[in-house]
Amino acid sequence: MSALVVLAVDDEPRALADVQRLLERSPRVERVDTAGGGREALSRLVSGHYDALLLDVRMPEIEGLELARLLRRFDDPPEVVFLTGHAEAAVEAFEVEAMDFLVKPVSRERLDAALARIEAARARSGTGSAQASGATGVVALDNPGAEGKRLVRLDRISRIDADGDYAQIHSEDGDFVLRASLAQLEEDWGGAGFARVHRAHLVNLNHAIELRSQPNGTAVIELRDGSRVPVARRSVAALRRRLKG
Amino acid sequence: MSASDHDSARASLAPVSAHFVNNVLAVTASYIEDDPDRAREVLAELGQFLSYRLREQPDRVDVADELAHTAAYLRLQQARFPDRLALELPPVAALATIGPVAPLAIQRPVSEALDRRLRELPGPCSVVLRPAPAGLALELRGGEAPPQRLDITLMEGVPA
Repeated sequence: MSALVVLAVDDEPRALADVQRLLERSPRVERVDTAGGGREALSRLVSGHYDALLLDVRMPEIEGLELARLLRRFDDPPEVVFLTGHAEAAVEAFEVEAMDFLVKPVSRERLDAALARIEAARARSGTGSAQASGATGVVALDNPGAEGKRLVRLDRISRIDADGDYAQIHSEDGDFVLRASLAQLEEDWGGAGFARVHRAHLVNLNHAIELRSQPNGTAVIELRDGSRVPVARRSVAALRRRLKG
Repeated sequence: MSASDHDSARASLAPVSAHFVNNVLAVTASYIEDDPDRAREVLAELGQFLSYRLREQPDRVDVADELAHTAAYLRLQQARFPDRLALELPPVAALATIGPVAPLAIQRPVSEALDRRLRELPGPCSVVLRPAPAGLALELRGGEAPPQRLDITLMEGVPA
């Protein structure tokens, strides 16, 4: 386990003190620095190296979103985890790539999960950013059951079905819609374990429990939510190799 | 804000902001180890705030109750931003001539103005709520920005 150097940023001093305390007690964290606003955070980011940036979305001077955009100019930007009072209020923040989001007050368990994901991402890419793979941790999806969008972690999405210009997304958090083609999603999310198994279906292979061959040369992949997704004949061999690997 | 505005405010009573409540809970969590008494105070304040907001709202409420609700909201904001916010609130007796008002007739304009101010400007801010001829006057002062004044009309037919 490699210990992380983390910068936590929040303009609410008590909320910042709370997340700082949790971070300092985490065995995954080597050092925690704090900043009470965007300007101070930017100054620290320019002068020091950080593995992770825990960033409040709403701040005066420089909003969290703006600060995260500025990070794109860095050679080795830290992984960004947004802190927010309400997940749906932070959707606009996900125009920028973020590893995760944490709703305040932050629970130890959720913080640990976010730090574990950061550790894994840093390990995968050396000291570089996992975001270079294009596989970000969280996406903003249209919620057909309610107005607005919902933030969903990619690792909770099991499968995506093509539906005209839209993609129907099935996740452990519910079903959502996104205006995107499967080809685009395969390109964007391939690094997170998603594979095109059929012209109408993309699946998260991390959710796969069984690949069952069919007499006609096609197959069916069963996912841990119980759903069964058809696999096109031309995709079966490659999928079998990938699942074995 | 006019009486008809009050009616429309009553008709569209906004749900409690999860963003606000979660931020207050984060503040409370931060006090639990350092200052448990303060954590309890913030929780009690949040309880008062929520019990007012979550009860079945009548068409009109006592102005003293509405002022107490606004005060609870402001003290919760002060808990979030202890170094930035100073509060100056009128005594309830100063509003004795005002009859019942629509729920949130005071808290809503105060929270909209203060939220905008906190979001857009860094630095300290004094929140001053004073009796005015037609109700209350809100003033936000401090920092480099000019003072911001807002009249909150609570009595019909009286010029602000």
